[in-house]
Amino acid sequence: MDTAAPARTERPRARLVTPTTALRGAEIAAGATLAILFFQEFLQFSLFDPNLWLAYGPIFLGGLGGTIRFILLVIPISVILGFFLGWARISLHRVLVWPVTMFVDFFRGMPPLVLVIFAFLFGDDLIPQAIKDRLLAGIPLRVVSVTAAAFAIAFHSAAYQAEIFRAGFQSVPMGQLEAAQALGMKPWQAMRWVVLPQTFRLSLPPLGNELAVVIKDTSLLAAVAGGEIVSRSQNFAGTLSISGYPVEWLFAIWTAVAISYFAATFTVTRLLLVLERRFHTPGLEAVSI
Amino acid sequence: MIRVEGIHKYFGTLHVLRGISLDVEKGEAVVVIGPSGSGKSTLLRCINLLVEPDEGRVFLEGTQVNRADIRREWVRQQVGMVFQSFNLFTHLTALQNVMLGLTQVKGISKDVAATKARQLLARVGLAAKEHAYPAQLSGGQQQRVAIARALAMDPKAMLFDEPTSALDPEYIREVLDVMTALAREGMTMIVVTHEMGFASSVASRILFMDTGMIIEEGTPDKIFHHPEHERTRSFVDKILR
Amino acid sequence: MTKRLPWNRENRWRWIDTLLAAIVVIGALLYVYELMVGSRGLQVDYIAANYGQYLRAVTVNLYMTTVAFVVGMTVGFFLGWLRTIRSVPVKKVIRDYTALADASSRSPFVRSGMLALTVAWTGVKYLVRRIGDAYVEIIRGTPLFVQILFAWSILVVNFPGLFTNPSSVAFTAGLVALTANTAGYQAEIFRAGLQTVHSGQVEAARALGFSRLGAMRHVILPQALRLIVPPLTNEYIGLFKASTLVFILGVQTEITFVANKNAFAGHVFEIFAIVTGIFLLLTVVLAKVVQALESRFRIPGLGIQQTRSERHRARPAEVP
Repeated sequence: MDTAAPARTERPRARLVTPTTALRGAEIAAGATLAILFFQEFLQFSLFDPNLWLAYGPIFLGGLGGTIRFILLVIPISVILGFFLGWARISLHRVLVWPVTMFVDFFRGMPPLVLVIFAFLFGDDLIPQAIKDRLLAGIPLRVVSVTAAAFAIAFHSAAYQAEIFRAGFQSVPMGQLEAAQALGMKPWQAMRWVVLPQTFRLSLPPLGNELAVVIKDTSLLAAVAGGEIVSRSQNFAGTLSISGYPVEWLFAIWTAVAISYFAATFTVTRLLLVLERRFHTPGLEAVSI
Repeated sequence: MIRVEGIHKYFGTLHVLRGISLDVEKGEAVVVIGPSGSGKSTLLRCINLLVEPDEGRVFLEGTQVNRADIRREWVRQQVGMVFQSFNLFTHLTALQNVMLGLTQVKGISKDVAATKARQLLARVGLAAKEHAYPAQLSGGQQQRVAIARALAMDPKAMLFDEPTSALDPEYIREVLDVMTALAREGMTMIVVTHEMGFASSVASRILFMDTGMIIEEGTPDKIFHHPEHERTRSFVDKILR
Repeated sequence: MTKRLPWNRENRWRWIDTLLAAIVVIGALLYVYELMVGSRGLQVDYIAANYGQYLRAVTVNLYMTTVAFVVGMTVGFFLGWLRTIRSVPVKKVIRDYTALADASSRSPFVRSGMLALTVAWTGVKYLVRRIGDAYVEIIRGTPLFVQILFAWSILVVNFPGLFTNPSSVAFTAGLVALTANTAGYQAEIFRAGLQTVHSGQVEAARALGFSRLGAMRHVILPQALRLIVPPLTNEYIGLFKASTLVFILGVQTEITFVANKNAFAGHVFEIFAIVTGIFLLLTVVLAKVVQALESRFRIPGLGIQQTRSERHRARPAEVP
C-alpha cells in the first residue's frame, strides 16, 4: 500500500475563464449594447443597417484578411529580430553592440509613419540588385514596396523589443550564470537551461503590450494604400457620396474598424496574460523597461 | 590534490593576486580568512577557472589545468563551488536545481538523476522541500540546496565562497553543520569564511590573505592565538572580538 | 613603479573587437549612403535652400502636440484620479448604510429610502468609474490612425457648416483625436502616480497631525509629481511622434514633403537626411531634457517601475 505522497507545491493552474473575466465580459457586453443603442438613437447612425453591410461587408472582410496577413508577417519578424538584437546588446563583443545600438536607436527615434513612407518609397531601391534579380523577379513593384513598409513596422517594433529582451536578460542575476558554469555547463547549455527560461518569463508582460502596439501600427500601412482594413475602408468611405450612400455610414464604418482593432489587441493581451500565469514561478517578477 | 603556483591576476590595473602559491592535500579542509578585497574570492575562482590567471599554474591531481588545451567544463566538473549568494536557478524547483547538472552536463537519464538528487537533498536535510522554488525557501535552505547541487556532480573537491555571509544568523548553523559533516567524511575543501568557530573545529589549516598575498598560514591554534605577523594579529583581533 | 596593463589575450581581443565594430558601423553607413545618393553626390545647396520649409512644417507638429498635450492633461488628470477610487467597496457600503440607518429614525420607509439612495449613489460611482475605464481601454486598444479618421467623420457628418475649408476640418479633427488619445494615456500615468503614493503615506501624514489638504500638499503631491513627470515627458515625445499622422488628413507637415516623391525625386537622400535629422535631433534634445529634469528632482528609492519607453505610453505600473 502506498504511503502518503509528500505535499506538492502546486503550480498555479491558469484557467481561461476566471470569475473576474466573466464579470468583465458581462460588463463589456452590457456597455457595448448600451453604447450602440445610444449612438443609434441620438447620433443617427446604425451599425446594423443591412444595406450598409451589403455594400461594405466584402470590403470589410477583405480588409480584415489584409490586416491579419500583415500581423502574421510582422509579429514573428519583430519578435525574432528583437530577441537577437536584445541578446546582441548585452554582448561583450563591441562588434555586435555598436551596430545593434545604432540600429535600435535609429528605429526607435523615427516615428513609425515616417519609416513606413520611406520604406515604401525607397525600399525597392535599397534592395541590392542581385537579390532582386534572383528572388524577386516577377513580383510587381507595389507589392515589394508595401512589403518593405511592413518590414519597416517590424523593424520599428523589433527595436523596442530589443530593449524589452535586453532588460529580460539583464534581470537574470549574473550569479546564476556563474553557478551554471561552475557546474561544468557549456555556455550554450547555460543559456538554454538557465538564462533563456527566465528571460522568457520576465519579458512576457512588456512583450504583450508591445504586440498590441504592433497590431495597431499595421494601420499605418493605410498611408501607403496597403490593402489592409483601414485603407480599404478609407477607399469605401471616399466613394460614399458618389455612390449615394448616406454619410452617416462613416460612423458605422469606423466604429466597425475600431471594434476590430480593439478585439485584436484585447485578445492578444489576454492570451499573453494566460501564458504569463501558466509559466509563472514564484520569485520571478516581471521586468519593466 | 589542488596546487597553485605563482598565481597573478590583474583586473585592469588592479593587481588582485600577487604571486599566490598553495598546496591542498586530499581530504584537507583549508580555510581562508582575510579582509574584503584581499582577493580570496578571486583565488577560489582561479582554481575552478571561472577566472583565468594571468600568470602562474593551477594543478588538479598533478595535472596542470590552466592550459589552453584543457576544457574548462571538465575542470569545473571535478571541483564544485558554493556561492555567497546561493545562485540557485530561480525558475526551477529544488529537485530540478540539483538534477540539472546531472542531466545536462553528465548526460544521466532523468529517473536516475532524480533518485540521486533526492538522496542528496535528504543528505542536506531538505527531502520535504524538493518541489519548492527557491523563492519559497529560507536563505539557509537555499544554501543547502546549493551544496546538494554542487555535490551532485561527485566533485573531487569543493570550494566555498563565504557561504554563510548572506544568511540571517539563525540559518548559519544549519549550513555549517552540513559543511562540517562533509569535512568529516573526508571531502577536500577550501572555504573562504568569517566563521571562526567553524574554522577552529574543522580546518586543518588556516590561510590569512591580505592585498592579494598569503600573509601567514598555519593551524587554527597558531593563527588565532599565536599569530606571527602584525597584520594577522590585528585582523584576528577584529574578528574574534 | 608604473603599472602596465598586461598584454594578454583579453586586451588584444578588445582592440580587434573595437576595430571590427567601427568597420561594421562605418561600412553600413557608407552602404546606405551609396545606395541612396549613388553617383549624384550630396546636394548641400538643396538642404540649405529648403530646410526652412521643413522646420516650419515641423512647428505645425509641435504646435498640435503641445496643445493636445496640455488639454489632454486636464482630462487625463481627472480620469486618472477617478480611476484611483475603488469601484465597489461592498463592505464599506454596508457599513455606511447601517451607520446611516441606525442614526436616523426607525421608520421602515426612511430605511428603505436610505438603502435605495446608497445603492443608487454607489451605482453612479461605479458607472462613472467604469465609463472612465472603458474610455482608457478603447483609446489604448485602437490605433491613433483610426481615432483620427473617426474624429474626422464625426466632424464632417455632424458639423458640416462649421468649417470654412477642408484643411481646417482636418486640423481640428487631428487636434481632437490627439487630445482624446493623450488624455487616455495620461490618465494611466496619473493613476499610477497617485496610487503609488496613496498607500500608507496619507495615514502617516494624518497621524502626524496634517489635515487632509496639508497631507495632500506636503506629502502626496511632492512624491506624486516626481513619479508622474518622467512618464509624462515620455508621453510628450511619443505624442510628438504620433502627431505625424495628421498628415494623413492633409495637414501640412514635414511628412508631406516626404510623400511627394515625384516632386523631389532627385533629392532622396537630402530629404531623408533632413527629416531624420529633425526627428533624431528633437528626440535627443527632449530625452536630454527629461534626463536632466529627472536627475534634478530624483529621490532615491522613489519610483514606479514605469515604462521608460514613450511607445508604450503608460502601461499600468508595477510598484517596486
